Amino acid sequence: MSAAIETTGLSKLYGRTWALRDCSLALPTGKIAALVGPNGAGKTTLLHLGVGLLDPTAGSIRTLGESPRENAEVLARIGFVAQDVPLYDGFRVREMLELGRHLNPSWDHDFALDRVRRHDIDLDQRCGTLSGGQRAQVALALATGKRPELLVLDEPLASLDPLARREFLGSLMEAAAESEVTVLLSSHLITDMERVCDYLIVLSAARVQVIGEVEELLATHKVLTGPPRDHVAGADVISATHTDRQSTLFVRITGRIADPGWSVHDVTLEDLVLAYLAQPTASALPGPLGGNARRDRLEARA
Amino acid sequence: MIWLAWRQHRQQALVGALGLGLLALFLILTHVGIANTFTSTGLQSCLSAPGGDCGPIAEVFDRQYHGFQILAALFLVIPLFVGLFWGAPLIARELEQGTYRLVWTQSVTRRRWFSTKIALIAGGSLIGAAAFAAIVTWWTGLFIRADDNRFSPGIFDIRGIVPVAYTLFALALGVFFGTLVRRTLPAMAATLGSFIGVRVLMTLFARTHYMAAKTVSAPLSVQGGGFKFGYEDPAGAWILKQVTLDRAGAIAGPGGGFDLNFLNARCPGLIPHAGALPTQAKLASCVREVGLHFITTYQPATRYWAFQGIESAIYLALAAILIAASMWLVRHRLA
Amino acid sequence: MIAYRLDGRSGLAPYLQLVQQTKDALRLGLLHPGDQLPTVKEVVGSIAINPNTVLKAYRELEHEGLVEGRPGVGTFVLKTLGGPSADHPRLRRRLERWVVDARDEGLDDPSMSALFDATLRGSLRREGIA
Repeated sequence: MSAAIETTGLSKLYGRTWALRDCSLALPTGKIAALVGPNGAGKTTLLHLGVGLLDPTAGSIRTLGESPRENAEVLARIGFVAQDVPLYDGFRVREMLELGRHLNPSWDHDFALDRVRRHDIDLDQRCGTLSGGQRAQVALALATGKRPELLVLDEPLASLDPLARREFLGSLMEAAAESEVTVLLSSHLITDMERVCDYLIVLSAARVQVIGEVEELLATHKVLTGPPRDHVAGADVISATHTDRQSTLFVRITGRIADPGWSVHDVTLEDLVLAYLAQPTASALPGPLGGNARRDRLEARA
Repeated sequence: MIWLAWRQHRQQALVGALGLGLLALFLILTHVGIANTFTSTGLQSCLSAPGGDCGPIAEVFDRQYHGFQILAALFLVIPLFVGLFWGAPLIARELEQGTYRLVWTQSVTRRRWFSTKIALIAGGSLIGAAAFAAIVTWWTGLFIRADDNRFSPGIFDIRGIVPVAYTLFALALGVFFGTLVRRTLPAMAATLGSFIGVRVLMTLFARTHYMAAKTVSAPLSVQGGGFKFGYEDPAGAWILKQVTLDRAGAIAGPGGGFDLNFLNARCPGLIPHAGALPTQAKLASCVREVGLHFITTYQPATRYWAFQGIESAIYLALAAILIAASMWLVRHRLA
Repeated sequence: MIAYRLDGRSGLAPYLQLVQQTKDALRLGLLHPGDQLPTVKEVVGSIAINPNTVLKAYRELEHEGLVEGRPGVGTFVLKTLGGPSADHPRLRRRLERWVVDARDEGLDDPSMSALFDATLRGSLRREGIA
């Protein structure tokens, strides 16, 4: 199985609003992927569909090769941390880990205990009295304690202070370093995502707008500054701003930029995401020339 | 999963056990006094001696404990508490607090999660309700001996096995509404309303029809200074309706009495003048002429346990349907 | 033990920053042959970066022959950079004296840095390198 999560025409309707519309994507295994997009774009919906908390209205989703709905075997291989990090507030931290032990056949209790102790969290403290950062660490211990193949996290950094964020990401990366786990996490904090993620999925207005390797996306997208012009040979213009003296173009490179009048600048991941979000009609999806997912599938067939 | 279900609900279980324990203690202590009064009024000896009318003594005994009628009302309500505080929050709380996103992504299907929780809570409710029913049945025993009204509505509902069925029904109702409405307080309100509604409808309208009622007829006769009915209510029966009819079947008056004007219309001159009462002889002959008799429609005491069984079965069936519906909602309609 | 950091605003790719910092440490004599570099897990745990970044950096250092990865054990330094007295105490003292002189002449830190860069570039050009 080459894709940790694979969706085909996935759609979800709530009442009369489409939370997701015709999404087809494949997340390769072993990647640490960022899921970004504006509020209401469908990130939580997609993640919930991926862990069996929701049923699709149309299309399909396969997690680790199977439908996750009412599927205890596949859930045993997925670790999930929901938005706002739900825990049983009346339980002590120790009891939270007991829950993990009783409900997951592949649970590694010593591993989970160690993760919690490492962050100086008192095992006898009640979860309701933990700080935001401590809650996040406990939830992560719960998710990684079953030694999953896939970790899914819904905005885990949202209510954390900068130090707690750094510590949480550090713990997450340790987990990623230890095993071949695939990670998918959604967040607004794109600068944090750039440090840790090597794969990017952008959801905008219920659709997948961008998907691909971060390295490749950053290599193929540039900002060009030069004389006032709205097109350039060798690149597709995603967005442009003009003054009477100068044009600044955000482009995707398709060939060679021969014109020396353009200065080429690198972009950050945040620049890239913001540029695409501002242009809902633009997209960077795997096609016949590129696309890791497509290549994987072709290789698998051959 | 059993560990989780117990850990989550152990506080509720302890509170329930404590409440039941306190109630039991109260009933045991008060029973001492009741037993004493039972003997001291002479009711005990009167009832053990065959024949004899212990009615007046029984009335003395009953009057001592009028205040305990409030208890009977409380006993009626106790099954509802299980529905409100154990049933309604069971699913609704997890949805309200968002912890369903935590527990449904552990390696357990919703079916197993729900089944285990329901089994544990229903099991606890069953044990608690059975203990409750047993102790109330025991405690009301002396009152029943004084006056056997165990088949009448209100008393029927707090003794025997039906309280257990009501409790499981209330639980199922609470769970169902909690799952349907997804919020605890509105679910509690819905459980309260529908439990009362179903109980009232069943008791007032359905119960009378579990088996075809029996009727007995007794002629009315005038004797001595009053009326002798030559009739006594069947012992321990549930009296559904009593009416006085003439030979032809026309109703002579409301309930178990008769209307003097009705008789006067049939026997002219019965009432000498307005406001006066007829003479004993004239009344007696008129009653005989008109053929007044007294019809009692009732369910005999021997059917008590059959009725307990039928009613329990109905409530248990309703509970089962509600639980099945809740399971379906959990697996297919929630999230 | 070396502690890496990531400069988000540097134009240099993250893995190259790690390579650079390792080389700096080697040059300054903070790392000696036989020393173990921190494990991937240790690095990402402390500075929260993608493990592949560390792997790539270590591979690059291995490619340049500076370190050696022993499977199941760790990554170890093979050789140093810079001369036998990598500390260069004499050069450093002369540099410190120059800094004092420059401050007396009223140069602030950026001006000192610019002067040094320009002189370095100038000397490289004269040697035909730049």
